[in-house]
Amino acid sequence: MQQKDFAFFPGCVLSQAAKESKMSLEAIAPILGITLHEIKGWSCCGASQAQDVDPIAALVANARNIALAENMNMPMLTTCSTCMLTLTRAKAALDKGAKDRINEYLAKGNMKYQGNNEITSLLWILYENLDTLKSKVVKPLSNLKVALFYGCHSIRPEKSYNAKESSTNPKSFEAVVSALGATIVPFEKRLDCCGFHASYPAVKSVQKMSSQIVGNADKNGADCVVTPCPLCQMQLDIYQERYQDAMGSEIRKPIIHLSQLVGLALGLSNEQLGLDLNIIDATKLA
Amino acid sequence: MKILIDRFNGVDKFVQAYDLSIDEVKGKTLLALLQHIKRTQDISLNFTSACRMAICGACGVRVNGHSYLACDTKMDDLLKEYDNPESLKISPLANFKVLSDLVVDWEPSIENLRKIKPTITPKEAFSDKKGCVQTQAEVDAIKKQWDCILCGCCASECNKLEADSSDYMEPFVFTHAFRAAYDSRSKDALKHLKPSIANGLWMCVHCQECADRCPKGISAADDIAMLRVMAMKKGLKDGTGPAHAEAFLKDLEDTGRLNEIYLALRSEGVLANTTKIDIAYNLMKAGKMNPLHIFGDEEIEGHEDLVKMIEAARAANKE
Repeated sequence: MQQKDFAFFPGCVLSQAAKESKMSLEAIAPILGITLHEIKGWSCCGASQAQDVDPIAALVANARNIALAENMNMPMLTTCSTCMLTLTRAKAALDKGAKDRINEYLAKGNMKYQGNNEITSLLWILYENLDTLKSKVVKPLSNLKVALFYGCHSIRPEKSYNAKESSTNPKSFEAVVSALGATIVPFEKRLDCCGFHASYPAVKSVQKMSSQIVGNADKNGADCVVTPCPLCQMQLDIYQERYQDAMGSEIRKPIIHLSQLVGLALGLSNEQLGLDLNIIDATKLA
Repeated sequence: MKILIDRFNGVDKFVQAYDLSIDEVKGKTLLALLQHIKRTQDISLNFTSACRMAICGACGVRVNGHSYLACDTKMDDLLKEYDNPESLKISPLANFKVLSDLVVDWEPSIENLRKIKPTITPKEAFSDKKGCVQTQAEVDAIKKQWDCILCGCCASECNKLEADSSDYMEPFVFTHAFRAAYDSRSKDALKHLKPSIANGLWMCVHCQECADRCPKGISAADDIAMLRVMAMKKGLKDGTGPAHAEAFLKDLEDTGRLNEIYLALRSEGVLANTTKIDIAYNLMKAGKMNPLHIFGDEEIEGHEDLVKMIEAARAANKE
């Protein structure tokens, strides 16, 4: 990969409950030739929740976020799948007719959405640069058995991502993790939902959904679950003990971020990757 | 290649394999393939179908765990989708009771459809003489949802329904509630909205499976979101779902970013959060939750302008 500059949109979760996701991303980026320029003044995307109260406010906020990245003349990069989906859908709404109307509101802050910028995710960047990724691997993860959990908003709705990848038979995550040398175990729950977005109103359903994912990974012999979505990681890691207890399961499984797995293959330490910050002990994976 | 079909004879469930040459598979629709198997190999195989032109919705089934409308799905596309496999697995729709082989019981779903009263009562302004005239924009607002053919593909893949259907309805039911509630001719949107709320409107997990699997391109997830917007506008805000959604908007307006402590407190209240002290403790111990955030966060750069933009949008879009 050529040295590539990105307007980095961390999303709220990376500054707090999934701070190890940001740490590990910032640790692997320079090795992979990626330079991250965090967007100054980025706001919450609404996380598909604020949209249910005030869709126009959420659209304005995301038009502003994209416009901030446009002003940096760099593609916009996020590691959060929900941010990715929300921003992508906002861009589609703007490009399909809302642009002029929304720009009237952005003008209140002397901003303008142009519509000339790409929005992408860490998973996509790695997938598009597999040769670079392979060339940087110093510690192939052949002894690590991993279950790959996509997370809904990494792949669905397919049409929102312009059918960039099949949502019934996606391949990007497998290709990226194969490049790291890890052993991918069969995992029937790999395309399922962890339930994160309904963890407050539908807690019983959500604990079942999350617990089944952990249980299925264990049944297939995985040492850990890996996900490109920090919200899925948070859901499956932070609440794991509680949910497993509630479901009468004693299984405990490390849940790690894609950026952490990449970092392991690049030879980075637990501390550099924030593996010591995961709630379910992930330090033994190194 | 092998076509594996989940069978059910009323007593036993089993998988039956049918060997077909690739020429027997290619060039057919999924429905034509099922008919071919029934005609040439196994007359006992049961499935439902009628129109063969994606109008009646009778032939929804799953292939490799994903739902498809059989008459509207080309086998060539499926072979491509699944990388020319040696076998494909055909199953009945999930989240329905199986009656026989690929035939499922629709009666509970129709009962749910009845709950949201999918027909409209016209406003007083309309009469036999005046009719129920709508503008093009008013028709456009709901016309996509009229395309729903009740095939059940969305319900089959719904992750919430799979976890627990006792407090949640099929996604297409919410689509029909949306269509009725947002119909400009309707006298009373609440008649459709209230039963939607009572039957899980705020429990959608946002998995987006319904949006992906609908053969008509309808997003029940979006329809659920729009019903939520209507609920909030009409002041129907009881429960953790509305409180959780509002918490995000409040943080956006207050500082521009999410405050995780406020999010928890605003979503569930102080009392309920005392049961999550262990989670909060673990997060604080790992340095992933800052207790000082209870005093609030700094505003993002340009927050004042963001608020101005949002206020301008609201003023312009005020009903």
